[in-house]
Amino acid sequence: MKIKNLKTKIKNLKRQFEQETADRQALNIKYLGKKGLFNQLAKEIKTVPAADRKQAGKLLNQLKQELTAQLRQKQTKTQSSWIDLTIPGKKPKVGHLHPISQAMTEITQIFTEIGFTRVRYPEVDWDWYAFESLNMPPDHPARDEWETFFVDLPDTTKDIAYDPAKPRKRHPDQAGGQLVLTPHTSNGQVREMERLNSQPPIRMINIARCYRRQQDATHTQMFHQFEGLVVDQGINIQHLKGTLDYFAHQFYGPGCQSRLRPFHFRFTEPSFEVDFSCHLCQGTGQIKKGKKSTKCRFCKSGWHEVGGAGMVHPNVLQAGGIDPDKYTGFAFGWGIERTYTLRKGLNIDDIRLLYSADLRFLQQF
Amino acid sequence: MNILIPHHWLLEHLTTKAKPAELQKYLSLCGPSVERIEEKEGDQVYDIEVTTNRVDSMNVRGIAREAAVILNQFQIKAQLKALALTKPSSPNSSLPLPKIKNDPQLCHRTICVVLKDLQRTPTPDWMAKKLRQVDLQVHESIIDITNYLTHELGHPIHAFDYDQVMALGGEIIITTAKPGKKFTTLDGEQYTTVGGEVVFENPQGEIIDLPMIKGTANTSVNAKTKNLLLWIENLDPAKVRFASMTHAIRTMAAQLGEKRVDPHLAKPVLLKGIELYQQLCQAQIASKIYDDFPGKRQLPPVKITTQQLTEYLGVELPIKKVITILTDLGCEVNIQDLELVVQPPTFRPDLKIPADLIEEIARIYGYHNLSSVVMPTPIPLNKPQKVDFHLEDQLKQFLAHLGWQEVYTYSMVSKELAQQSGYSLTNHLKLANPLTEDRVYLRRSLIPSLTEVISQNPQQEQLAVFELANVYQPRPNKIPQHQLHLTLLANKPYRQVKGDLEALLRQIYLKDFTVEPIKKPAAAYLQAATLTTTKQNKIVKLGQIYRLTDQQTAVDLLMSNLIGIAKKHPSYQSLPKTSQIVEDLTFTLPAKTLVGKVIKAIKNTDSIVNKVSLTTIYQHNYTFRLKYWHPAKNLSKDDVSPVRKKLIKNLAKKFQADLVGEVELKH
Repeated sequence: MKIKNLKTKIKNLKRQFEQETADRQALNIKYLGKKGLFNQLAKEIKTVPAADRKQAGKLLNQLKQELTAQLRQKQTKTQSSWIDLTIPGKKPKVGHLHPISQAMTEITQIFTEIGFTRVRYPEVDWDWYAFESLNMPPDHPARDEWETFFVDLPDTTKDIAYDPAKPRKRHPDQAGGQLVLTPHTSNGQVREMERLNSQPPIRMINIARCYRRQQDATHTQMFHQFEGLVVDQGINIQHLKGTLDYFAHQFYGPGCQSRLRPFHFRFTEPSFEVDFSCHLCQGTGQIKKGKKSTKCRFCKSGWHEVGGAGMVHPNVLQAGGIDPDKYTGFAFGWGIERTYTLRKGLNIDDIRLLYSADLRFLQQF
Repeated sequence: MNILIPHHWLLEHLTTKAKPAELQKYLSLCGPSVERIEEKEGDQVYDIEVTTNRVDSMNVRGIAREAAVILNQFQIKAQLKALALTKPSSPNSSLPLPKIKNDPQLCHRTICVVLKDLQRTPTPDWMAKKLRQVDLQVHESIIDITNYLTHELGHPIHAFDYDQVMALGGEIIITTAKPGKKFTTLDGEQYTTVGGEVVFENPQGEIIDLPMIKGTANTSVNAKTKNLLLWIENLDPAKVRFASMTHAIRTMAAQLGEKRVDPHLAKPVLLKGIELYQQLCQAQIASKIYDDFPGKRQLPPVKITTQQLTEYLGVELPIKKVITILTDLGCEVNIQDLELVVQPPTFRPDLKIPADLIEEIARIYGYHNLSSVVMPTPIPLNKPQKVDFHLEDQLKQFLAHLGWQEVYTYSMVSKELAQQSGYSLTNHLKLANPLTEDRVYLRRSLIPSLTEVISQNPQQEQLAVFELANVYQPRPNKIPQHQLHLTLLANKPYRQVKGDLEALLRQIYLKDFTVEPIKKPAAAYLQAATLTTTKQNKIVKLGQIYRLTDQQTAVDLLMSNLIGIAKKHPSYQSLPKTSQIVEDLTFTLPAKTLVGKVIKAIKNTDSIVNKVSLTTIYQHNYTFRLKYWHPAKNLSKDDVSPVRKKLIKNLAKKFQADLVGEVELKH
């Protein structure tokens, strides 16, 4: 047999196979069985001239592979039994990350996209970092606003008179003052300046547990804040606005606007209260339904207050060893719970749930 | 501090056509925040948050002054009305003023006048309505006038019963109290001084007033009062705060007094007071005005350059605009060699440094008028050591995928939970001022908290929870050591938890770690073991594993140590070019044999024992699957046979392990 004839025979065999409707097993016997069509054809290789035999072998091998592969495919359609495609799936048991973790990861990602470095600073710290380095001398009335928890240990520096020109600067780890449960993440401000040896640029995002002596539907004794701090030459209010808007767009959606209102904090000057526009009424305070317009029930007059911000007070830069004549900076610090629960459609109305460890709540996330 | 201000009361000091909604919007954008507007007795009442540095705005006129400056920025005409004050007439028949002995360190100003023959009249409707609108109680004119004036103009003012003051000695001595002195406030509450409070005393040393906080019963207006000593003092703010906080008397007067209310405001308030008593109580002026003012305010001028302003704003404002804003706010501005020399008014002691002025200019100019730009400055590259947030996320995610639920529990725990940690109470930091009994100690372990979570969720089968949080180890004279723990706790069989742990550590390419049982675990645990691994021949502690009950297992990992050994990728081993021989061997092991050690021993028999795993356990029979492999050659039965012999001998010797049945070669 000439190689040309073999090729034709192979082609015919393939065509024949394609027309088959029988099930896989029958086809297997018919084509690939001991006395099957393939073997019958393969026997004829003997009649091929010796010079072409190698090529004939290759062609036959290829045919066998193709038939085998096609038979495998036929199996799935013709062989297997019927199953109910609507039957419920068998789910693996999966757990869930806590919503605060989810929010933290997202917040971290948004700020790292614009060059911030995430850090973590002590949750139990000297009052020097929590207050004094932030322009709040001992016994300053501003300290009252924080509802601070104190650790039951004597204040070793109580007898040292306060001298604003010489604040009780101390090594980050060493003794001095009172230990407090940090009521805000702002203790990270001067700690970050110290970590960088008072050398800007600084773009810090500090996320940590915070503690305050209060408890109701919108306050828990423990909560989380994220603190931003940017210090460099030429940092101005526009950069704060730019950063806030970037965050608002990423976290709440492109339509969200930020707004600064005057406020007062000891550690920033100027100080701001930051609002984000309400996603339900787009900052108008009114919800339009057809021709009727009703007051938005989700927000106070179109805006949600999320937290404080400001330009870093020169005294704070100085406490961190940075020359306020050369550098400026901004800072902001907000509650993660508040920021997170303002999200559209989330509907958490009692933040105590977050720390209740009630699995019926947590498994929803 | 919040203050209520009815719209029409505001209009007594402000000429404007601005609507309440506009006032709310623009004041909030550039000044004090108007949190809401409420309708009360036919008027719109603003609820305004005034920041603690702006005591000058804690009154109707102060808000009017802010509004006048701000509204004009939005092209709404507004003007602060002049405060019309009548010069008091000279007394017809006079009564003597009491003797006043001051300590100028304690009291910056004393101003007073005697008013006589007062008619006791009900508070007129116009005044009563305003007082109700701002949530102040209505009594009668003689009392309400002082509250009304404080709310309207912002300086506390007090009315003494003149005859009582004279009967008690006719002398007012301004001094600091010695400890242990008793006094009764006008509402009948009794107090004892701790020492250091500023008080008014009579010559006998009896306390006759707690100034700038609350009047005392012995000199306050009573049912018989017909002659008044109308009085204003302005004290050292720190002293006011001390007494007010010490005795927890937080009156409006005290809150104003501790925040440096302007002593220059005292005279207009007194003059208004005289007017009102004349008008409402037909009072007669019975003395000259006494005014002792040793503490005149000399606020230092603040210098600022336009360059500094531009640095903060990122945009240059016309100098004219800057000067107008500052002048409108009551400052005097002079230009000296490119610098603005700004003299703040006496009511703005908060303006001390250039940044304070920048805030004033920027807020009135309007933050909303500034652009929004992410800073183009260099990105810092100096990252913190010893933290790996990515790793934390990765491990938490993986645990969640394996079926573990993340929880957040409080860092402060009850006495009971603290004791369950295995550390004594004295080895815990304790809060000095806990809010609730269940949150008193800073925890040393997450395990008790997680155990509590499991018991609080009894409806959950095979519950597995984890938390990543700090524990706090006290250190003398240092802040506590914060140790970040990743702690897992589950109502699951031990082997399942151990398997999850192995899979978790495999995520950071850690395959070899040692579980070393602790001989005498703490009483809280049935069994415990330490988890270690080695890095560069040094032993690294990973944490501990505990059996809490038959059904409960905990794993406590030290995050800081995981950071040191976690890898982001494996070291690739080239794919095997030779084939392996797989066989199962079953051994009978005596009770309490440590299978981990048996596996290690099997592996250590020879280098061709490439992998060993436990496949089944039946009673005391343990089946191990061995994979023999050599990187360079295909092993034959003859290669394996001596190794197997050695292995069986070893196990018999070390563990009294008996081989069961025949060797079964898989392939």
